[in-house]
Amino acid sequence: MRRLTAAVLWLLTLPLVSAAWAQEPFPTRPITLVAPFPPGGVADLTARPVAAAMEKTLKSPVGVVNKTGAAGAVGMQSVATARPDGYTLLLALSSISIIPEADKLFGRPPAFTVDQFEPLALISADPTILVVRAESPWKTAKEFIEDARKRPGQISYSSSGVYGTLHMAIELLSHAAGIKLRHVPHQGAGPALTAILGGHVDALASGPAVVLPHIKSGKLRPLAGWGDKRVAALPEVPTFKELGYPEAEFYIWAGVFAPRGTPDAVLAKLRDTLAAAVNDPDFKAAMGKLQTPVVFKQGAEFKRFFDADARRLAEGVRRVGKIETK
Amino acid sequence: VLETLGNLGTGFAVALSPGVLFYGFLGCLVGTLVGVLPGVGPLAGISLLLPATFGLDATRAIVMLAGIYYGAMYGGSTTSILMRIPGEAASVMTCVDGYAMARKGRAGPALSIAAVGSYVAGTASVVGLMLLAPPLATFALRFGPPEYLALLLLGLLVLAYMSSGPMLKSLAMAALGLLLGMVGIDQMSGYFRYAYGLVELGDGIGVVPVAVGLFGLGEILATAGRKTPPEVIRPRVRDLLPSRREWRESGWPIARGTVLGFFIGIIPGSAHIIASFVSYAIEKKFSRRPEEFGRGAVAGVAGPESANNAATSGAFVPMLALGVPSGPVPAVLIAAMMVHGVAPGPLLIQQQPELFWGFIASMYVGNLVLLVLNLPLVGLFVNVLRVPYPILYPTIVLFCLLGVYAVNNSVVEVWIMVVMGALGYVLRKLDLETAPIVLGVVLAPMIEVSFRQSLATSAGSYAIFVERPIAVTLLAAGFVFLLLGLRPLLTRGLDWRARMALAAKGEKT
Repeated sequence: MRRLTAAVLWLLTLPLVSAAWAQEPFPTRPITLVAPFPPGGVADLTARPVAAAMEKTLKSPVGVVNKTGAAGAVGMQSVATARPDGYTLLLALSSISIIPEADKLFGRPPAFTVDQFEPLALISADPTILVVRAESPWKTAKEFIEDARKRPGQISYSSSGVYGTLHMAIELLSHAAGIKLRHVPHQGAGPALTAILGGHVDALASGPAVVLPHIKSGKLRPLAGWGDKRVAALPEVPTFKELGYPEAEFYIWAGVFAPRGTPDAVLAKLRDTLAAAVNDPDFKAAMGKLQTPVVFKQGAEFKRFFDADARRLAEGVRRVGKIETK
Repeated sequence: VLETLGNLGTGFAVALSPGVLFYGFLGCLVGTLVGVLPGVGPLAGISLLLPATFGLDATRAIVMLAGIYYGAMYGGSTTSILMRIPGEAASVMTCVDGYAMARKGRAGPALSIAAVGSYVAGTASVVGLMLLAPPLATFALRFGPPEYLALLLLGLLVLAYMSSGPMLKSLAMAALGLLLGMVGIDQMSGYFRYAYGLVELGDGIGVVPVAVGLFGLGEILATAGRKTPPEVIRPRVRDLLPSRREWRESGWPIARGTVLGFFIGIIPGSAHIIASFVSYAIEKKFSRRPEEFGRGAVAGVAGPESANNAATSGAFVPMLALGVPSGPVPAVLIAAMMVHGVAPGPLLIQQQPELFWGFIASMYVGNLVLLVLNLPLVGLFVNVLRVPYPILYPTIVLFCLLGVYAVNNSVVEVWIMVVMGALGYVLRKLDLETAPIVLGVVLAPMIEVSFRQSLATSAGSYAIFVERPIAVTLLAAGFVFLLLGLRPLLTRGLDWRARMALAAKGEKT
């Protein structure tokens, strides 16, 4: 009997022990940063220097895991449903607000929703730029837009995929400028670039770093950018904002998210860590080599940016609607 | 020419410097291992090791990662020949005749021929890469969606024309593969097809779990189901090297496989796997004894193995000359360059001559290293066959499970492999070929996307397929094969295919 009492008492103390364990300093074991895209992509190439810089501040390992599939939905879903303890984080791109909206559009149960995440910090934001082939007749964005108005659905562009970031960039421009372009989706940004270089489409919205070598070699011509400021490497290229299309604002951005429900103390610690990480010289050097501008935003500032971006993209997805293919 | 030689000299100076040589060797070694492990292919291997190269300089990183890529093509043949498990997707065709050779006690020669064929193909296509990269890359870019579709259809028709055995059975299996290839997100509209709410099925059914399941697991299950276990083969030392006849019969297949693989390799897209399929079909057609195919024809190993190796070097052409990815693996290599601040693009050869020529030279060295590495291993690997089945097969199953899981950390893919294993077993019992299923799974998404991209480009007009010169040429060639394939129906004569089927029937009764 005594033994039984002891056993019951011991069992009763178990929750206390684990509660005490939760109060322990964070982190006590390795953190996983999920990149929902394959190695070599923007998410992966940003996640690795971020993880390395976080490791230095936390003095605890931060590992990058590529959980890929369904345009990022697999990895994002895995973090949305992970235990909210700060040990599983997500490095997401703009597509985090596109996927739930597309799910809604098709009336399928969403893989995840934006509300399942706690935004921690924006790490980088790269405005896309509009490029055409050097032989093409359009010398300026104005000529391009005017011609597109005259010939709706005649000028074609390639993208990284339907409802993908590069598709959305063009959709925002099309809406702002009242034009209609012909969409030829490809499977990723690489094939989309190959398509314009081969002359199979007329235009492409792309991150600047990818097309810069082709602009320099004279194969492609930049017309305008989607940023609120001009791209540093292309100071002579105007923004659509300057040209009078402020709604054509779009960035390929990368940010870090935690599952909603993560304890506040842990969130605070992670936010401080990320603030320190972006000032790490190795991190800055790594991003410099990728020619990706570090844009750090936290708290209310990040929320404003994220909400505005999510609103524009959600509207864009709804405007595109279900795609009827022939 | 002198300039090229001078540049190559610089390249060798880079490639033979101890640091680069070491990482090149490491890449080749890892590549061989990655190729040998079932399920883990070059893409998974390179992806896993990409982060490890961030600390190296650009040349070392690229040389090492490229070594993994072509090294995997050497290693891939090993498990295909010994155990009928494709080490990576491009080795599927090697399973057929390579394994049949192994059952006849000719595992050693099959492995040696595969290694030599890979070496010849690798080296010859680096010469092509070195001399012709810029013009070839410009040509390759002219392959847009309509050309790509025409190429895929041509490949399919060549295969259909040259495939063996009962045409109806092959077509049924290919159709099953094409159906499986339909699963996943519709690339043109974003609909999920046949995914049943599983996000993991969004990217479709991968070729790796299908190939490993159908071939490897299917074979193991079939063996386990036999009343008397097959005899354990004890290869003798003098059976390690190919006979004179085997050498003679491999020469032309290696040469044809090399040329074919190189040209399919340079075309952007992921059609590299069809290089080995088409090579197999061509060799069968050219062979004086087509009836040997499927029962251990050495040409059926030499051709495809050379083709898949040449295709990897071909894939580097657009990457180095223009900075465009010709497939998933070159895409990762491009990322690796960008991490090191090297902008891949049309100016790479001029701006980074050391990297370009060092890379070229390292491929000559790497292919030699791989030959030297793989030939002695033949003696070692064939001894795997001595392991008794109760120990060997469970071990293989374990490696298959681990390998397939490791690629995407996905349990769903493991289940796909298990289901495919069961399917492979049933199909074997029914005496149906499994290779066409794999081909269907690979080709279905590519054919569909390129077809619909073409129509998106032309706003729905089918004229796009006959307006473009390359596309119309390829389609016309395909049409000729179609007519040739229909000829026996018209003339009612028995061609070699029908005779083979009859012979097979006679054998069974």
